[in-house]
Amino acid sequence: MDLAEALRAARAARRPAIVPYLMVDRTQSRRLSARVRALRDGGATALELGFPFSDPIADGPVLATSAQRALDHGTRWADLLAACRTASQILPVAVMTYANPVWRHGLPKALEGLRAAGASGLIVPDLSLEESRPWRTAAARARVHLVLLAAPGVSRPRLARIARASRGFLYLVGRYGITGASVRGTSVALAPILRQARSAAPTLPILVGFGIRDRAGVARAFAAGADGVIVATALKERLDAGASPDSIRSWLHSLASTRSQPSAVA
Amino acid sequence: MPRHYGPYGGSFVPETLVPALSELEHAWKTARRDPAFQRELHRLSSTLGGRPTPLYFARNLTRRGRGAEIWLKREDLLHTGAHKFNNALGQGLLAQRMGKPRLIAETGAGQHGVATAMIGAALGLETEVYMGAIDMERQRPNVDRMRLLGARVLPVTTGTRTLKDAINAALRDWITNVRTTHYLLGSAVGPYPYPAIVADFQSVIGREIRAQSRRTFGRLPELVVACVGGGSNAIGTFRPLLGTGVELLGVEAGGPSGSRGAASLSAGRPGILHGSFSYVLQDSDGQVAETESVSAGLDYPGVGPEHAWLRDSRRVRYLAVHDRDALRAFHWVAEDEGILPALEPSHAIFAALREARRRPKRSRIVVTLSGRGDKDLAVVLRGSG
Repeated sequence: MDLAEALRAARAARRPAIVPYLMVDRTQSRRLSARVRALRDGGATALELGFPFSDPIADGPVLATSAQRALDHGTRWADLLAACRTASQILPVAVMTYANPVWRHGLPKALEGLRAAGASGLIVPDLSLEESRPWRTAAARARVHLVLLAAPGVSRPRLARIARASRGFLYLVGRYGITGASVRGTSVALAPILRQARSAAPTLPILVGFGIRDRAGVARAFAAGADGVIVATALKERLDAGASPDSIRSWLHSLASTRSQPSAVA
Repeated sequence: MPRHYGPYGGSFVPETLVPALSELEHAWKTARRDPAFQRELHRLSSTLGGRPTPLYFARNLTRRGRGAEIWLKREDLLHTGAHKFNNALGQGLLAQRMGKPRLIAETGAGQHGVATAMIGAALGLETEVYMGAIDMERQRPNVDRMRLLGARVLPVTTGTRTLKDAINAALRDWITNVRTTHYLLGSAVGPYPYPAIVADFQSVIGREIRAQSRRTFGRLPELVVACVGGGSNAIGTFRPLLGTGVELLGVEAGGPSGSRGAASLSAGRPGILHGSFSYVLQDSDGQVAETESVSAGLDYPGVGPEHAWLRDSRRVRYLAVHDRDALRAFHWVAEDEGILPALEPSHAIFAALREARRRPKRSRIVVTLSGRGDKDLAVVLRGSG
């Protein structure tokens, strides 16, 4: 299924969208399909597949280390495409990676390749609105949703421009800081940002990420009016600690069972 | 101020940094036109920094070259021992103007870290400097100097443990503490407006070369040479000369012979690193390559975006010099002129001597001697056995 359709369906059903993140690592490819099935069975709405980059400036130690490890294992772009093919049979897939790997493969070619492998979204944490125009054009041509990010401290007019330009969903960075909740970072009042984004792009789902690791974090995001959350570092820590697909499924389920709040605007 | 240089430059950053970058852009645009700011910059450049730095005729090096005259622009005589002072002072004053009480910086050779620690102390700003663990080892004296100047030096143990990952660490800190912190980026790299701001503050080098050449020998030199890592001393040297007929040569670190070293412009291809689009040493998947150079200050896989455009438009010629040749040039300058140059400009001096041999005795070459070599003694002594 398509990423945007899945998120819209969850929203229509007032079901919180949970989007877990997995980093592609060629040594883990045999386990991928069991893991994605466990995530689906635990209530995931879609999957974010991360492709490692050598210089992940928005990532905290957990994800940065796992990216380094994946690269040391020889993970290549072809492994990302293979992972997309596997995972997209089970859940809608958005790919997350930094600008340079995509650029290096050539925007149109990279995006068409991702689409052909079953990915329906792309998230690029170091792509600013200012630089996004050629990316948005290429993504639209390849029928890939280019998801833009908004962050605390954003001005109202800029937030509106980002929300209107984003496709699939709006990725709202939930605090000042890098990925991972155990590292320093300051959480902010999300409700006003969510309200402003909502009024600029009323039909676009909004997901909150960065630093969400437990039910309380999920509940706060929903209470502020988000449609869903992205869970990356907390899941990665569990996988690194050797969690079985079963325990992943029940953990995710416990996150997803948080009740959705009626949206303040809708 | 240009956001792009041809297709290069721009601002590829996490959204969290966008408000801080516009705040910085705004602060610089108003400071630039503010006579009080310019007066303070000028006053401290001269009374704290020691500007203007001399243009020195290197008679014995010239004799060694048996060709064109070699003149050295003595940025090594600047306070803290390198051109990094120019930018650290300027951005320190900007941080103060923006009301940010904390400075962070990355450093490779330690020269920018020392300059930032100095200005932090002078302006009363808390200062923390990220430095790769490998660089801390090979540039030990500068680590001690930073600490004595009151800065905290934070070792970076991820990735390559050199300058590239020190920048990553500084960017992560900035994303987290952006409201209270100014990131005092030390080279003409990074997202807009950094390349433009750093080039502005460093352009004093080229302006002085222009004025001193006219005063000293009645015209501009035929050739001006500077070393290029991220490219701040080079862009500061070149920019005021772009509109003239002066031939310009940028010298990258070629590393050990047979390697690509750290020569992004000579051996890399266009890509996105640390917030801007420029030449990057990378593999076919866009993963940034490890670099290798005897000089920590040039050991960087990217380069400032303006250099990328100057390369493509052929206004500046760029070439790479290997470690071994840079070390040879270090000894020439030391023995011929009684000056210990840093290993970074030693690359430029080697290239300048090679050029001098091919040119008539009447022509003149100016080389920016961007820093002094005290920090490099351990490496040099090891290199000479």
